Amino acid sequence: MIVRPCDIWRCFQGVIPSIIATADRHGIPNVTYISQVHFVDERHVALSRQFFNKTSRNLDENPAASVEMIDPVTLQAYRLRLKFLRSEKSGPLFETMSMRIDAIASHTGMTGIFKLIAADVFEVQSAEMVDGFLTEPCRNEPAGVSLEGKRTEIRGLQWVSERINRATDLESLLASVLEALEEYFGFSHSAVLLYDESRQRLTTIASRGFGPSGIGAEVALGDGLIGTVAREQRLLRLPSLEADLRYGRAVRREAASGAGTLQAEIPLPGLPDAQSVLAIPLTVRTRLVGVIAAEDRDPMRFSEWDEAYLQVIANQIAFGLDHMIERADDINESAPPLEASAPPPVRPAVVSRRPPLRLTYYKSDDAIFVDDEYLIRNIPARILWKVLGESQRSGRTDFSNRELRVDTALGLPPVKDNLESRLILLRHRLQEKCPDLLIVPTGRGRFALRADAPLELIER
Amino acid sequence: MADRVQRCLEPGLSILVGTVDPHGMPACCRGIAIASSDRLETLTVYLPVATSQEAIRNIALTKRIAVAASHPVDHCSTQMKGTTIETRLAHDEESAHVQRALDAFASTLDRIGVPRQLTRTVAHWPAFAVTMRVEDMFEQTPGPQAGCRLR
Repeated sequence: MIVRPCDIWRCFQGVIPSIIATADRHGIPNVTYISQVHFVDERHVALSRQFFNKTSRNLDENPAASVEMIDPVTLQAYRLRLKFLRSEKSGPLFETMSMRIDAIASHTGMTGIFKLIAADVFEVQSAEMVDGFLTEPCRNEPAGVSLEGKRTEIRGLQWVSERINRATDLESLLASVLEALEEYFGFSHSAVLLYDESRQRLTTIASRGFGPSGIGAEVALGDGLIGTVAREQRLLRLPSLEADLRYGRAVRREAASGAGTLQAEIPLPGLPDAQSVLAIPLTVRTRLVGVIAAEDRDPMRFSEWDEAYLQVIANQIAFGLDHMIERADDINESAPPLEASAPPPVRPAVVSRRPPLRLTYYKSDDAIFVDDEYLIRNIPARILWKVLGESQRSGRTDFSNRELRVDTALGLPPVKDNLESRLILLRHRLQEKCPDLLIVPTGRGRFALRADAPLELIER
Repeated sequence: MADRVQRCLEPGLSILVGTVDPHGMPACCRGIAIASSDRLETLTVYLPVATSQEAIRNIALTKRIAVAASHPVDHCSTQMKGTTIETRLAHDEESAHVQRALDAFASTLDRIGVPRQLTRTVAHWPAFAVTMRVEDMFEQTPGPQAGCRLR
């Protein structure tokens, strides 16, 4: 049965590797797996070339190729008869295909070693279902976007926009965005990472479905899947995460048996058994604000959403986040000085009957540990250490964002300091790792330190 | 080399088969099982009758065949190329070997997320048994060594 490439879109997700047969000028066949078959249009596909030595040589001698693809849902096989047209080593097609490989390479510590050499473009001469491949009829429902689907997408956009507009502060905006993504799109494991330009790192500031431990996780720009999405500012959808990682690790093992040093693999920030990943850059004009990442145990979970549509949703979220961060900065700047404000309703800083909490600030690592367990590092750590020290010296428990901004020792950037997001991160980390010590918002640009145990501060 | 021969004959492998017609048009299909009693000097690959018509036609005309054996979990892969010396319908007593190979393959895929029940719906019997003389053996594990001659 003849099919159109668009009818077998699930085969292009890469969940089950495709195979390609070629032949040299002497008629010697060669058969191998392909890591990526990319749908270009109804008449063309592109194959990724990384280590395709023999296949590439064969195609130079004989442009004919045969590819077999398998639908990951039904396991039905399809065969494409192809004619090699050209290799693209730059341009939009190359960049799109390269992005996926770069992300996997970075994630498996293979940056620069495992990379796309070329996107080989083929004309599709025929595409057929392999009759008799399955002993039971496949349940291959028709694909395509219905009018209902379009309406659903518009409602989804409206839903997210409403949540953003309703948010009163950065923390509630982050929570409501993730809630909307779960309620409307079914993204039940998601996280928002905000970009700190001064450190060139992204920090997980909010998450849903991963448990609390994801908050505070960091990734450098360009590292791993999320770091690559941030650097390239392009959406990445990996329906075949597990297969891609296995492939990448196979390459890593082979490369490791040769010369050269490989970087450590970066652990996934979420589900240990994730089968698919969607990472969307959040940008305002060309400026990176952060990344939304979603994971799922279903390899086909994110395949139904159109990438352009998800980018529109992401733009809404990015503008909302950026606006809220700027507004938080304005509010903080307009906050009255501490002396003029009413005293915050906080409990005494110390309750002596509880065993003391030992907080240690390691100068060389710029990190704070609570009873030998890592709590937080960098600017949020310096903020906490400042207010803890001040509280211990003077007994003061309330603080303002303004006094943090004027303290150059904290190292806040002069513009776009993301102070509000750093305080959110600090609050979440304390709630999770040290619930006897809390940072409580007490008004516009103000917060209080609340300790339910005696504190022992050590600096090393 | 002995280890590699052993790995090529382990259960649970993915078997890829490439053939070519007299005009140089290649074709691919999936095999279900392989067997060798002489350390891969010769190799028999089992192809489902239902899905290997083009391959069998090509083999009849050119005798050229390439067989790749790949472990789905770690991608350790070997490609063997050679000339077909016999093509026949697999005997009834070989069906147990083919069934075991499919079951092992289904178990392997089950470990990486493809349900066993689904893999078992893949047509596998009756099968053609294609025996080839292995003339070349190549490393095909993805990576910089891919394409290197093993034998």
